Amino acid sequence: MQYMLLIYDKESTWHGMSEDERNGVMREYFQFTEELRNSGKHVAGDALQPLSTAKSVRLRDGEVTTTDGPFAETKEALGGYYLVDVDSEAEALEWAAKIPSARFGTIEVRPVVVFPVEASA
Amino acid sequence: MKVLALIWSDESSWEKLSPEEREDWYAQYRSFASAADAKLAGGDELAPTRAATTVRVRGGQTTVTDGPFAETREQLGGYFVLDVQSLDEATELAAKIPGAKHGTVELRAAAEEEAA
Repeated sequence: MQYMLLIYDKESTWHGMSEDERNGVMREYFQFTEELRNSGKHVAGDALQPLSTAKSVRLRDGEVTTTDGPFAETKEALGGYYLVDVDSEAEALEWAAKIPSARFGTIEVRPVVVFPVEASA
Repeated sequence: MKVLALIWSDESSWEKLSPEEREDWYAQYRSFASAADAKLAGGDELAPTRAATTVRVRGGQTTVTDGPFAETREQLGGYFVLDVQSLDEATELAAKIPGAKHGTVELRAAAEEEAA
């Protein structure tokens, strides 16, 4: 079963770190990603560019409206994600707790819907 | 460039739909996905937020709580990973995602370096 691990943290936390601290957390991320890949549970993952580059798109009555910024202004913002393929929710939560940002941010764990017809895709 | 298109919509209105109405939306999604196939690098529907769990580690202690990170008027219900040349191209594609008609599609460009 697949789970999306959504990483929410404050961009200001990153800005507040010294270069050494930031490099340290990045190294932890590389190590975490390597551990996840080596376990065979890694499906996908990305770090996202800062919120200042976010855009929100809506279509109403045939008209496209594009606004700058994310859908929701929250104290912590989505900064990246991993998609994992694991045996249980407990295992997804274990991986989530190992994500470096879990120590200063929040990881939201969301099960992915499996469509019977497309299960082989 | 790789752009994450996050689809936010009101999950309570989704749950009120009849099976036929849902199938109609799924058909719209399938037709979007096949038309945009060359520009799609991934995508999933997420289970409703009542199935969400939130994890934090503080002082070495892991805390697990039920529910999503943030209570919002619309909820994250799914996503596509777009493989496009520009954010403008991503915006054009985003407007064709069925959820853009009743919800919001948030575009977030992926960082160039592959940290994740």
